[in-house]
Amino acid sequence: MGEVKLKRREFLKLGGITCLASTLIAPLNNLVPFTSFAEAAESETKYTVTKKIPQVCARACECDCAYNVVVGVDTATGIERGITIEGRSEDPVSRGKYCIKALGFVDAMYNPDRLLVAMKRTNPKRGVDQDPGWVVVSSEEALNEIIEKMKQHKREEMVFCSPGDPYSNRLCRSLGVRRSDQRTECFGTHYYLNSLMVTNPPNKYYSSTYTVTHSLWGFDYSKTKYMLWFGFDSFSKCGKAGILNHIVEGKRNGTKIVGFNPLRTPMADGIMDEWYPIKPGTDLAVALAMIKIMIDEKIYHEDFVKNYTDSASLIDADTKLHITDSDGKWMAWCTEHSRMEPIDSCDAPALDGGPYTVTVDGKEVQVIPVLQLLQESVKECTAEWAAEISDVPADVITRVTKEFAAAAPNVCIPNLKRDAAGPNYANSWRLMHAINVLHALTGSLDHDGGVLFLHDVKIPWLEDVDPPAKPYPELPDKAPDYRHEFPVTEEIYQKKDFSAPGHYGMIGYGLYKTDMTKVVVFKGPHRGLAALIQPQMVEKALEKMDLVWDWDLYLDDIVYWCDYVLPAPHQFEEGKLDIRQYYPKYPCLVGGEPVQKPPGDCIGWGAIAKKIGFAMAPEYWTTDGSSDPEKIIPGNVNDAALKAVGAAESTEEFMKEKNGIWIDKKPYENYRTIREIGFGRPNGRVRLYIDEFVKVSHEPLPKWADRWTTPDGEYKFSLLVTRAPWHMHADPNFINNKALNVLSENNYIDCVWISPNAAKELGLKEGDSVTVETNPQYMKDLPRPVKSKVHITERIARDDCILLFHGIGHRSKWLKHGRWGYRDGDLIPQKDPNVAKEHDPTGMGWVEDVYVRVVKA
Amino acid sequence: MGDYAILLDTRFCTGCNTCFYKCVQENRLHESAENGFTRTMVFIKDRGLYHHRCMHCEEPSCEATCPSGAFHKTPEGIVLYNNEPCLGCKSCVVACPFNVPYWNQKKKEIVKCTMCAHRVLKGEQPACVEACPTDALEFGPYQDITEKAKQIAADNNLHIYGLEENGGTSVIILTKEDPLVIGYADVPKKVTKARGPKTVVGAAAVAALAYAGIKKYSERRAEIEGLNKGKDNK
Repeated sequence: MGEVKLKRREFLKLGGITCLASTLIAPLNNLVPFTSFAEAAESETKYTVTKKIPQVCARACECDCAYNVVVGVDTATGIERGITIEGRSEDPVSRGKYCIKALGFVDAMYNPDRLLVAMKRTNPKRGVDQDPGWVVVSSEEALNEIIEKMKQHKREEMVFCSPGDPYSNRLCRSLGVRRSDQRTECFGTHYYLNSLMVTNPPNKYYSSTYTVTHSLWGFDYSKTKYMLWFGFDSFSKCGKAGILNHIVEGKRNGTKIVGFNPLRTPMADGIMDEWYPIKPGTDLAVALAMIKIMIDEKIYHEDFVKNYTDSASLIDADTKLHITDSDGKWMAWCTEHSRMEPIDSCDAPALDGGPYTVTVDGKEVQVIPVLQLLQESVKECTAEWAAEISDVPADVITRVTKEFAAAAPNVCIPNLKRDAAGPNYANSWRLMHAINVLHALTGSLDHDGGVLFLHDVKIPWLEDVDPPAKPYPELPDKAPDYRHEFPVTEEIYQKKDFSAPGHYGMIGYGLYKTDMTKVVVFKGPHRGLAALIQPQMVEKALEKMDLVWDWDLYLDDIVYWCDYVLPAPHQFEEGKLDIRQYYPKYPCLVGGEPVQKPPGDCIGWGAIAKKIGFAMAPEYWTTDGSSDPEKIIPGNVNDAALKAVGAAESTEEFMKEKNGIWIDKKPYENYRTIREIGFGRPNGRVRLYIDEFVKVSHEPLPKWADRWTTPDGEYKFSLLVTRAPWHMHADPNFINNKALNVLSENNYIDCVWISPNAAKELGLKEGDSVTVETNPQYMKDLPRPVKSKVHITERIARDDCILLFHGIGHRSKWLKHGRWGYRDGDLIPQKDPNVAKEHDPTGMGWVEDVYVRVVKA
Repeated sequence: MGDYAILLDTRFCTGCNTCFYKCVQENRLHESAENGFTRTMVFIKDRGLYHHRCMHCEEPSCEATCPSGAFHKTPEGIVLYNNEPCLGCKSCVVACPFNVPYWNQKKKEIVKCTMCAHRVLKGEQPACVEACPTDALEFGPYQDITEKAKQIAADNNLHIYGLEENGGTSVIILTKEDPLVIGYADVPKKVTKARGPKTVVGAAAVAALAYAGIKKYSERRAEIEGLNKGKDNK
């Protein structure tokens, strides 16, 4: 069929007649008839694909999805560039999916505000109101100057604010410098409780990964029969493709999901079977009531409890610690022989009863089984008691507990980062403890359809492949983040896992309140100052430092206080090897290749660490402990990981021959990994009773505790914090993307969310400007109220809380599109270590344990 | 009815907006999106998620009211827009009962979904469907999609939106809540050609719009010609 084409000019000439005709007869469509979409104007692809580069996501979340970065020629510009992402179905985590952040990362490679050269400050005065007087220097020149300045300081005067990646670890350990990092506010609570109960670092699967998370387990979302979500469905989870695709498969196959969250998220709308708007910070009460019901009604998984936990182990009634034999093995009371026996050889261990009288080192001792103590610990925690505290109906708690137990062991309570068991409340460590106890009572730990443990694969640490020629120096006694005042976490950090999360919730306090630190290093790509809590305290503290430097992708907020900023490569400009921590059902390694060469004068972190390390402590950076630059450690952990499982002889071969993926799809062996990595190896067990907590005067078993903060007069709104699925902390890769900002504004991400009732009571209308202010009782130093518009929404299901979004609010004038919104961290106080110690032996972030007032501006 | 349709089961949509950004990248719409003109976007509403996207009506009101034939419903079920004959009169913006088309004043064009016709042509799914992390979006033959939608709705007591609205569309949306409560437009089942020249008032309105469009076009031409003249003089 031929086309009748009418040009605009001709059309104009006919305009008057056409107009009249169009009103009286059928409109003049089909002037350009389409026989098929094939002939339509939009039938052409807007780019031509030239290659697809395998990559592994990093630093956008911890799913670390594997995918291809599609590179092509943009038709409009004729330029070859990263265009988009294509899924890789063979990756067991992503299974061919990816998220909006992964897409955003592609465009971020070309963000015009990317830092491509090193910057040096010429104005010695620091601050957001100061022009740093940047001058461009080469990265090498900047690094040489940095090294000379660092050499002038003692190791106790320096701190690295960096995650515990292999190179940061080695650098800090070789220099004898303390490291602190913001993962306290992401993974800290989970990491420490999991370590103390099950994963017991270091263990054979504990790996160095590009995105350091320390997750040694994931959840079998697609196979589980019943899931409980204690705030797991935050808005941030709404964007994690690597877990969403599994959750939805489970849902389509009949997984029951019950959630507790004061915020009604889209996942509550669609995916949950039941949702209850729990009172913020009271999830622990529900979990304790569940433990009580399971023990009282004996609906726990007896086989697992007896054989894979310390439930039968005996606790000394006086010392409150585990009784052990000379080999350090736990003991049990044998009901058959009426005597104490090593737990592994006891045929009939008592789970309850006592106190039993036993003789230890010639002395009579009263001992009680752990499960009996647990039952006593929760004896007041009835469903009715929990209902009173949490506002979750008692009949719901009882019914859900019984359903959950009936579905065991194919059940799980997923918890990652900022859910209620994360570092959100002073009692979150107790909730995490309680959740792990519930997992143990249901036998779902290390079980198909429950909690999946990473197994049979490891990416070694630098120390594993290039051991230091001599022991590292001792660390300074005092840490600027007060880690030394928390023996439980300090011991893990110093003796077991140098990569363990630091106390970022107190680093600002330490820098501000003491003069011990003179040099602060930020390894800050994708982070920046806005990721901190109470950044105003850090800002003030940095003004007095001798040297502050940052390794970053952008000139973001932190640079107002930096003397040097070194340009970092984009994550797609680096090669990677990763394990599948978020879905470790099968041993698996995935690799990524650089999409392009880092532009400008970008320098990788490994190169920086090697240069500083070799300049300041060469004996730890050469293979033979010499100062010979020819003998600098190669540091190739990836090749070692690939060789160990027979995946390839080298990374190059792995990428070329295997397209960057190795997977061993053997059936999951239930409970095997607990035996291998748990406490009491070689027959490892889950430890419900944590001796270390007793030693610091905290409860060894989960027990109820109120929140640290309480509502007080106008300061009656509990602060909820989440982030948009398309943001990651304050990462300029996303914040400095104008299209994503349009999306945010259309979804009120830059507003304070408040319930209709609460708004009415305050006389607020949609879009009104408000000031949100933390109760000064809890933030005595440098308060900084937040100003914003309100969004009145039923999604805030309670009148006693408001919601703010994390990850916005940059001030940097070097981010064209990034300067918008508020900064939630301004409202969240840095912690006084003495207060933190009273409430939490791990001393993590407590980022939502805040009450605020809302005032019409 | 056309060959293809998209099923959106909002129970599995989390509002992540991967579809939005995938669309931007696939169609190279960065500049447009930066100015707020998007082909698809998910809005987190109080009672559910609202997807702003072209419904690809069986009898598109945009096509019916467009005086220049810039819209066309293809036999494949896709409503396409062609900027070449577009007058910029925006009658489609007014006519669309789903309030979908945006007028990008800067680029002088209508912004609306093409159902990734260029991909469908090659036997691929629309980019948004491919990208959806939860498979909340599904693409397939119209009959299969509508039958599936009806079955899922019946089995799960869901609302269906798009099956009959405006005479039927090629985007079928399943919701737990009443779609109108969520924020979807209240569109009569019957084709809303009343917005077209079926009544005296309607006729007058379209005539006025068409006149305005032509006038604007004429002015724009003069402006461009003036600019060109300026350039030539330099």
